[in-house]
Amino acid sequence: MAHAHKVKRYSGLMDWLTTVDHKKIGILYLIAGGFFFLVGGLEALLIRIQLWKPLNDFVAAHTYNELLTMHGTTMIFLAAMPIIFALMNAIVPLQIGARDVAFPFVNAIGFWTFFAGGVLLNVSWFAGGAPDAGWTSYAPLATNTFSGGHGVDYYVIGLQIAGIGTLVGGINFLATIINMRAPGMSFMRMPMFTWTAFITSALILFAFPALTVGLVAMMFDRLFGGNFFEPTNGGNAVLWEHIFWIFGHPEVYILILPAFGVISEVISTFSRKRLFGYSSMVFATVLIGFLGFMVWAHHMFTTGLGPVANALFSIATMLIAVPTGIKIFNWLFTMWGGSIKFTTANLFAIGFVPTFVMGGVTGVMLAAAPADFQYHDSYFVVAHFHYVIVGGLILGLFSGLYYWWPKMFGRVLHEGLGKLCFWTFFIGFHLTFFVQHFLGLMGMPRRVWTYLDGQGFNNLNMISTVGAFLMGVGTIVFLLNVVITSFKPRNATNDPWEDGRTLEWSIPSPAPEYNFAQTPLVRGYDAFWKEKMEGKKEMLPAEPLGSIHMPSPSILPLIMAVGLFISGLGFMYGKGDYGDGFKAFLFNNHIVAIIGLAITLACMFLRSVIDDHGFHIEPDEITGDKGVKA
Amino acid sequence: MSAHSHVDGKLPHEPEKATLEGRNKVLGFWLFLGAETVLFGTLFSAFLALRHQVGDGNPSSQELFELSTTAWATFILLTSSLTSVFAIQAMHTNKVKSMIIWLVVTVLLGLGFLALEVVEFATYVDEGHKFSTSAFSSSFYTLVGFHGAHVLFGVLWISILIAQIFKKGLTVVTAPKIYVAGIYWHFIDVVWVFIFTVVYLMGKVG
Amino acid sequence: MSAEHSAVEEREKHHKHEGPKKHIIAFIFSILLTIIAFAMVAAGEINTTFIYIFLVLMAAIQVFVQMGFWMHMKDRGHAFPIIGILMGVFVVFTIVIMAEYWAWW
Repeated sequence: MAHAHKVKRYSGLMDWLTTVDHKKIGILYLIAGGFFFLVGGLEALLIRIQLWKPLNDFVAAHTYNELLTMHGTTMIFLAAMPIIFALMNAIVPLQIGARDVAFPFVNAIGFWTFFAGGVLLNVSWFAGGAPDAGWTSYAPLATNTFSGGHGVDYYVIGLQIAGIGTLVGGINFLATIINMRAPGMSFMRMPMFTWTAFITSALILFAFPALTVGLVAMMFDRLFGGNFFEPTNGGNAVLWEHIFWIFGHPEVYILILPAFGVISEVISTFSRKRLFGYSSMVFATVLIGFLGFMVWAHHMFTTGLGPVANALFSIATMLIAVPTGIKIFNWLFTMWGGSIKFTTANLFAIGFVPTFVMGGVTGVMLAAAPADFQYHDSYFVVAHFHYVIVGGLILGLFSGLYYWWPKMFGRVLHEGLGKLCFWTFFIGFHLTFFVQHFLGLMGMPRRVWTYLDGQGFNNLNMISTVGAFLMGVGTIVFLLNVVITSFKPRNATNDPWEDGRTLEWSIPSPAPEYNFAQTPLVRGYDAFWKEKMEGKKEMLPAEPLGSIHMPSPSILPLIMAVGLFISGLGFMYGKGDYGDGFKAFLFNNHIVAIIGLAITLACMFLRSVIDDHGFHIEPDEITGDKGVKA
Repeated sequence: MSAHSHVDGKLPHEPEKATLEGRNKVLGFWLFLGAETVLFGTLFSAFLALRHQVGDGNPSSQELFELSTTAWATFILLTSSLTSVFAIQAMHTNKVKSMIIWLVVTVLLGLGFLALEVVEFATYVDEGHKFSTSAFSSSFYTLVGFHGAHVLFGVLWISILIAQIFKKGLTVVTAPKIYVAGIYWHFIDVVWVFIFTVVYLMGKVG
Repeated sequence: MSAEHSAVEEREKHHKHEGPKKHIIAFIFSILLTIIAFAMVAAGEINTTFIYIFLVLMAAIQVFVQMGFWMHMKDRGHAFPIIGILMGVFVVFTIVIMAEYWAWW
């Protein structure tokens, strides 16, 4: 190994802009996703303020449409998914005993394109109006006829760019999990979180291309006079609904499966018991992922596909309750007889179980097609999907963040503040959304900016608004906790919960750049726990200590994302926004758009022709670190 | 584990799989093709849903399509797929020169296919079949155009790889790139098989 | 990792220099299937449903042959590529059914 390539290693801001280290990319995802979570949360609070009393005029009807569209879009694509990717990046390679992900460079592209897409979407607020056709952007509402201006353009182009990032991120994790597992780490020994990350990545792989096609078609309709969804020229508006939900339903499972994984890890660790029914858990995860592709039309029962289609999709949807139920019972049986520790992470996990069951039960109610005709487009649906997404996914993410925070940052979050965060958020959540079931059953329609007095909606809406603010308080407490903790010394031990079962707890907190000084030898499920039970403190190494090859940092991913960002803006403003002159010439001939694409392609070219030799970390450098034996 | 660990002067039989990086690349690319399958599948389904929405006075698929043009395009692309197989075979037997020749032939055939497609589209536009004419025309140009864009990307990509082979030679770093580009080229051909069947032949039938 | 390496070595021993013959046969087969499909359409005056099914069948066989031989999917070590493509095909299958039956219904 006599390659003496000198690789420039950056520090400070440049380090973060050029990093290809999955742990740092995980932190970037967390910061960006956390930022968008706050933006989306602010939008939610504005919505709730508008609805706190009848005939309120806090925001205009049009602004309300923008708020609800951007709240949904931001929370799903720019907050929830990136925070999932944050945990996956930070933890999955550690759990399978890998030094790195399969494609560190592509991983960085994934982050920066997501970020560029997210920023582009939110630029719309300052550029004449945000998207206002709902997060589903149904045609014909979202076509030029009914949504002039650039709002929906930002939606279709921003999501395309963010979608590229998500897709390559998914491919990266699939290849990592298939090819990079440590010796002995067979598929049926993988920790549950890794399994769910695997299935989620597979769902991303097969669902996102459908969304891309839908968005491209919508973009062609809006920018280049296409007729996909334009009924006057033979287009088909229902086609958009189908394509959107063929992506959209698997997306729901993309979101919830990693939460299932987190909950499995946390409950098992803090019950000090092996996860009950591990193999049935794996089977249920795979089955949910598979069935997720066959139920999209349950979002379209009232579209009028006819009784045969409705019946088929109704039954397929109810089938999903079976594997989900298996999971619920497995978690309960894991806790049964365990010595449970009520840490913050575990509180979130235990709070998740009944909350998610409630969301699941309303899901089965909605799956009954005839009943859905009553619930459709009412607050009952709003309550249902917030129970599964907030009560399921967000509680799961909080649980995961409290649990893995020491592994990501080397500091344990303050438990007292953590418990305060849990109780305010949890109670606030149920206050906000439980009453919305009844609002829906009483007939309050969703997506409408206000309501009349004297319909019995007033008190329940008031309660809901109070609850939303309580959730806001919970989030602020979490942020406070993060700030306070960051001033504490970085003193987390390898295994701060003392009951860690999986490989990530066998290495220092935070994990060193190369993760494992020596690749561990895995001898069973719950690999680290197995060693601990045999009285050992560390994993058996599978190789002698040697020099470790690392990929070199690169600025190209960031520039590629910038290129796509420029190109997106270029296409958007090519509709003749600028009368004449130089600006009009640049935009109307798509010169700006082409320059943007050229930047991205040039980066791809450079990446292809310049070999990345990387650099090596030598054994003496490794043994100098704390907690690693020679 | 590094990109260079297996090089000792002589290339292994399947150099694309000699390193972990190479195996990752091949696997990751296959997964990407799984995503491409769904991408083209969705484009096909949009086309299938809209292909009869021609509109009054616009040329229909029977009037537009010329089977002879499609046949030539098919023949060219199929042949290019075969020549790219020969290139990979030459790579496996470490015959760099013949590998480069077959890759160049593949690129030239790809360019021929693109030229035919450009002429074909120009003819259609003359006959009043523009992108914005009808739902049929929008979905037609989007599906066939996406495929054409993939061919164009493949042509550029393989050209860059040929230049790299000249400069760096065939190594365990360049071999996976060639292999993956070969897989990509076959995939484009496979998509075309469905395009000539579903778009052109079924369009000719009605 | 070591298991994979020995598998690679084994593969090297087994078929060292497979000739171009198989690929040329696959090519001729593809061309034949294509000609049959084009000829069916050129002949005209055949039941539309039958010819649709026939054409898609010809395409499917051709793609099967090409993926097996040219994309090496018949070779060992292609379990994940096969799973990946099959899952993609499954999703496409549902989308096409949507387009044919539920887009206009």
